[in-house]
Amino acid sequence: MIGDTLLLQVAAVTDIAPGLRHLRLVAADGGKLPPAAAGAHVQFVLEGAARTWRNAYSLVSRPGARDAWEIIVRRVPTSRGGSAFIHEQIKVGDRLVAGWPGNLFAPVRIARHHLMIAGGIGITPFLSYLAEFGFTGAGHALHVCCREGEKDVFGPWLGNSPAVAFHWDADGHRLDIPALLASQPAGTHLYVCGPAAMNDEVMAAAAAAGWPASHVHCEHFGSALSGGDPFRAFLARSGIEVDVAEDESLLDAIERAGVAAPCLCRGGACGVCVTPLLEGEAEHRDHFLSAEERAAGRLIMPCVSRARAGRLVLDL
Amino acid sequence: MLHSDIKSRPVYRALEPDLSAAGHLLVIETATLQPGGLASLADAFAPVAAKLHTWLVGEAQAVPGLGKPWHLPAVADVVDALACATRGYGIGDRLYVQGTEPFLWSVATAAAIVGFGPDQIRLCHAGSLQRRVWCTHCHGFTEPVTTNVVPCAGCGRHLLVRDHFSRRLGAFMGVMVDTEAPGEVPAIEEVFA
Repeated sequence: MIGDTLLLQVAAVTDIAPGLRHLRLVAADGGKLPPAAAGAHVQFVLEGAARTWRNAYSLVSRPGARDAWEIIVRRVPTSRGGSAFIHEQIKVGDRLVAGWPGNLFAPVRIARHHLMIAGGIGITPFLSYLAEFGFTGAGHALHVCCREGEKDVFGPWLGNSPAVAFHWDADGHRLDIPALLASQPAGTHLYVCGPAAMNDEVMAAAAAAGWPASHVHCEHFGSALSGGDPFRAFLARSGIEVDVAEDESLLDAIERAGVAAPCLCRGGACGVCVTPLLEGEAEHRDHFLSAEERAAGRLIMPCVSRARAGRLVLDL
Repeated sequence: MLHSDIKSRPVYRALEPDLSAAGHLLVIETATLQPGGLASLADAFAPVAAKLHTWLVGEAQAVPGLGKPWHLPAVADVVDALACATRGYGIGDRLYVQGTEPFLWSVATAAAIVGFGPDQIRLCHAGSLQRRVWCTHCHGFTEPVTTNVVPCAGCGRHLLVRDHFSRRLGAFMGVMVDTEAPGEVPAIEEVFA
């Protein structure tokens, strides 16, 4: 398959737990898919009746697999609606347009030891990590913080690995993050993927324990970050005014207006969508712009950031 | 003092403790210390004195403030001590090294082998500009080198000592200087005293 986008076909849909749906996707033309490494994500175009969503999901299939890609999608009640679409509408045989795989969360392969901390559905990138480490033999440990009832859901990917531990919110089962981070050998790299509050807690604990920042890696969920109060944006170069609803991102609204905006992760991490801001004040929610860039107020990442007040004018 | 036109050369800075670190290991080549040098290091590391270990390599009189230093005869003993450490080093630990360039990189390389990442290691050049030279022909090392041209300790070729530095080897590149005109060796000058 070549081209800017890929056409996929849904080969299997499995509800692995309440609110967790597993999709197996193959190339619609029966050919091979591009290979993707551990930690990769793919952006899917979800064509609903009333609107289109573009959501990025981590691949949980074996790294390098070319016959099929797999994703696991949690239904998020308060989300923009893409996950609900996958849970309610997608069926075997449906075709989906997807982007090429991107990877902003690859494991550091010179690491002596890989320490992974997952919160809830943040486990998905680590399922491909585990497949890689199982193949390369790299030392690793995965700590999963989830609801007690979901700890067996990922069994098919985890096997009975002694390197995987589950933690949940009950006495004796909570993860002691500072204690875990204080006892790691030199040469360890830390990866965290979970809700924002957990990511922040882990990053702060790592800094307090003396971890060099270059050994700490974080992936945020994008979709939950992008909603908020409705506002209006004016695309100066296109001469188009767009209304951004409370349940969609600025990037969604720009795409809905028919303006092509470059993007990759849709989660405020990669920096591909960064756009000059000509007027207005942004509420920055990305993890890419520096403090100086935010203070200068001349750039915005429309995939997650919104207007703090009033109208935004973008050079787009 | 370590001026070079090659931008990839390592940059060395005065040592100061990383206050967020869990443990601190300070390794000093004592022959490179200026009078009062240990005392000023003790001052700099006073905020982390409770978590500081000091290794003094070579002759030295200990000073207050660096804890109870461990005395080691030579850099080879530092390399062995790092490799044989019974207590593993942690991701929160920091290594600080002061000495000549071959010393710095012998210690840094040994530390990397036991897992220290580049951001856990701070290096401060002191003392002679002497270099370790790696022969591009026989892959042997020659040190200490203080001249612009040096006979290779491995193959005997006269090597021009270049400014190209390898962090992996902790050495500068040496290439045969009289390949085009055998026997025509430029004047040998002491440039890395």
